[in-house]
Amino acid sequence: MKSWMLLIGLLTLTVSGMTQAAGGPAIELEDAQNNLRDQDSLQRGAVLFSNYCMACHSVKYMRYNRIARDLGWSDEQVLQNMTFNQARAVDHVMTRMQAGVSTEILGTEPPDLSLMARLKGPDYIYTFLRAYQLDENGNWDNSVLKGTSMPNVLESFQRHSTPEDYAQAARDITNFLEYVGEPAKLERYDLGWKVILFLLVLLLLTYLLKREYWRDIKH
Amino acid sequence: MSIKNNNDSSVNLQRRRILTGATGVVGAAGATFLAVPFVSSWQPSEKAKAAGAPVDADISKLKPGQMLTIEWRGKPVWVVRRTPEMLAKLPSLDDSLRDPASAESVQPDYCLNPSRAVKEEYLIVVGVCTHLGCAPLYRPAIGSPDVGADWQGGFFCPCHGSRFDLAGRVFKSVPAPTNLEIPPYRFLTDAVVRIGEDPSEQGAA
Amino acid sequence: MAEYDTSNSQAKSGTLLGWLDQRYPLISTWNAHIGEYYAPKNFNFWYFFGSLALLVLVNQFVTGIWLTMSYKPSAEEAFNSIEYIMRDVEWGWLIRYMHSTGASAFFIVIYLHMMRGLMYGSYKEPRELVWLIGMMLFLVLMAEAFMGYLLPWGQMSYWGAQVIISLFGAIPLIGPDLATWVRGDYIISDASLNRFFALHVIALPLVLLILVFMHIVALHRVGSNNPDGVEIKKVKNEQGLPVDGIPFHPYYSVKDSMGAVFFAILFALVVFYVPEGGGFFLEPPNFEPADPLKTPEHIAPVWYFTPYYAILRAVPDKFLGVVAMGAAIMFLFAMPWLDRCKVRSIRYRGLSFKLLLAMFVVSFIILGYLGTQPATPELTLMAQIFTTTYFLFFLILPYTSAREKTKPVPERVK
Repeated sequence: MKSWMLLIGLLTLTVSGMTQAAGGPAIELEDAQNNLRDQDSLQRGAVLFSNYCMACHSVKYMRYNRIARDLGWSDEQVLQNMTFNQARAVDHVMTRMQAGVSTEILGTEPPDLSLMARLKGPDYIYTFLRAYQLDENGNWDNSVLKGTSMPNVLESFQRHSTPEDYAQAARDITNFLEYVGEPAKLERYDLGWKVILFLLVLLLLTYLLKREYWRDIKH
Repeated sequence: MSIKNNNDSSVNLQRRRILTGATGVVGAAGATFLAVPFVSSWQPSEKAKAAGAPVDADISKLKPGQMLTIEWRGKPVWVVRRTPEMLAKLPSLDDSLRDPASAESVQPDYCLNPSRAVKEEYLIVVGVCTHLGCAPLYRPAIGSPDVGADWQGGFFCPCHGSRFDLAGRVFKSVPAPTNLEIPPYRFLTDAVVRIGEDPSEQGAA
Repeated sequence: MAEYDTSNSQAKSGTLLGWLDQRYPLISTWNAHIGEYYAPKNFNFWYFFGSLALLVLVNQFVTGIWLTMSYKPSAEEAFNSIEYIMRDVEWGWLIRYMHSTGASAFFIVIYLHMMRGLMYGSYKEPRELVWLIGMMLFLVLMAEAFMGYLLPWGQMSYWGAQVIISLFGAIPLIGPDLATWVRGDYIISDASLNRFFALHVIALPLVLLILVFMHIVALHRVGSNNPDGVEIKKVKNEQGLPVDGIPFHPYYSVKDSMGAVFFAILFALVVFYVPEGGGFFLEPPNFEPADPLKTPEHIAPVWYFTPYYAILRAVPDKFLGVVAMGAAIMFLFAMPWLDRCKVRSIRYRGLSFKLLLAMFVVSFIILGYLGTQPATPELTLMAQIFTTTYFLFFLILPYTSAREKTKPVPERVK
């Protein structure tokens, strides 16, 4: 039993080391409170993404038909909702901006957002989208990423909607981007417990088998 | 030796056999489950499916006698706008063809007709020789110099000399066994044909 | 009938097994290594990790082979092909996560396996060679993991490789040329990626396989140690079999199966619910494609390299840092000769060894933590302290172990 205790001790040490190591960045991030199982939110997020983000950003690793399948749309619906029928269902979700235009206008190439949620986390995206404030000169600046070239795309929500609607819009986009970061995530969650349940049955059987054979051993 | 003998009355061989069997069966089931992802990962991926998606072709610019090549599932698909003269000649060739009625050949049911087409005017075939997969050449002119003086117009495969008429039907005494394959297709409008989709799939993308 | 000598076959002739066994030593091999391999009956929890390491190796081989079917080893395509596997290939995400989780699992299992060896003196005579081959396995495994980590071609892959390969540059005289030669370019590039791929999928796995085979053959020549550290071959019964030994099959095959399933549960928990391992198994910056013009704010190697990385950084001299890092591993090779105590198991050893081993393990874990952190002056000082205690273990051990006040070791296992 001693060795068990030693191992547990070591694990505790390691885990406590890990949690410290994973310590957060300097900015206080808001909890996005998004829910991947909320399909309405994902659908709204996809439409918002198309309307407010795709002018500059792509999610180039996603295909429209995958979005349709996972968000409960038909191929026609996804094209209608996200592309005004300007793309095929099998196409990747590309930006509407032509190459090079952005460098001219904004001085930088907007990043692809396929993996942004995995790189920075949903909370970062949510906080970032809502971190635009007017400075004394009347220009928008972002307190999460100072001096960003990205305009305050949710300005209309910020000015004209209720705080709840504004938060919800940011949350829906965040939700969509988390989904896009790993489209198989829910599939993973839904399969995992079944696999583990099966393995528990197998564990019980192997335990009984082991105990049965080890009756032979005299201690 | 610290092991009891199997003849020892306290060893329950029955129970041991049952447990071994049960573990074996459940373990084998587990191994089968585990094999599923590895086996199915060999299926065509989304990328392959996307490449195999239907392709739309604009045929409004195609003049009589002209041919258009479209890529579908990585293969060339030809659209030939046949002239009335070309169509009129087709039945006269039946005797020199291996499979004039296309009974042995691959085509959708709606193209199993003398002109092998939905609209007589447009021949749409997969441009891959049924012999060994070369790409035949379009030789519409009568008596094309590289094919022969008695040539009535059609397709000629440079690899092994197989010949096809302007309905993609194979001539006798050439290596290719069957007529050129006709892909599924449907006309979205008079000017646009979608290759890779049956007319019955109307509405589905 | 056959004219050849079949007397050394134990199978009945006329059966398929008999036919095979007359031509191939099936039965004798099975008996020597499984059916009649006598292992001590008192293996505890720590003895699961050998077979688990084998299980993880198989997992890495199978998932790795499947990944190469869709992965593209080129600077242009590598990152995209990983996302292709994650999204477009059926079940690709599962296969990829099994491989990435397997890499970390491998090191967890191997570190515990090595810990077992240290606690019960499994490196001592006559098992020195088992230990040495095992250490070589560990070294090759580190190279294998390091090269594999470049393949996703993310920011961490790229800059991690850049930093580690630059270490070669610290070697006097030939260093810079050597680093360039290893990379095949002046920076980490397509050429480096391609050769790392070749080494990761062909050369090193082959070496691993051969070394695993030799590790087991060497072990079975001398027999397994056990938590009491007593030699079971000393006390035999009338048939010449060790009294405290039991055949590996069925006793340990059923026990190890149980261990394997238990391990599989933990493994599945990670694969399905936390494949990123809290940012330690898959580091977030690696979700950004490699960019040779932009270094991430904080580069940390994957967790299993961090103790050595901390030692590297603790030494304020580039060359000596590399030497210290190398020595940290090389000293382990010398364990059979550094430890001069006749008693194997920690159970019967003196307080000095217990304290030294505890100091070593704590140093290792704290260094592992420090390796993940940015190098602030305070943390660097800590790293220097624990680097010192790490090495003190090896330096003090030869002295104390020769004079250790041990407890009486029993004749037979308890």
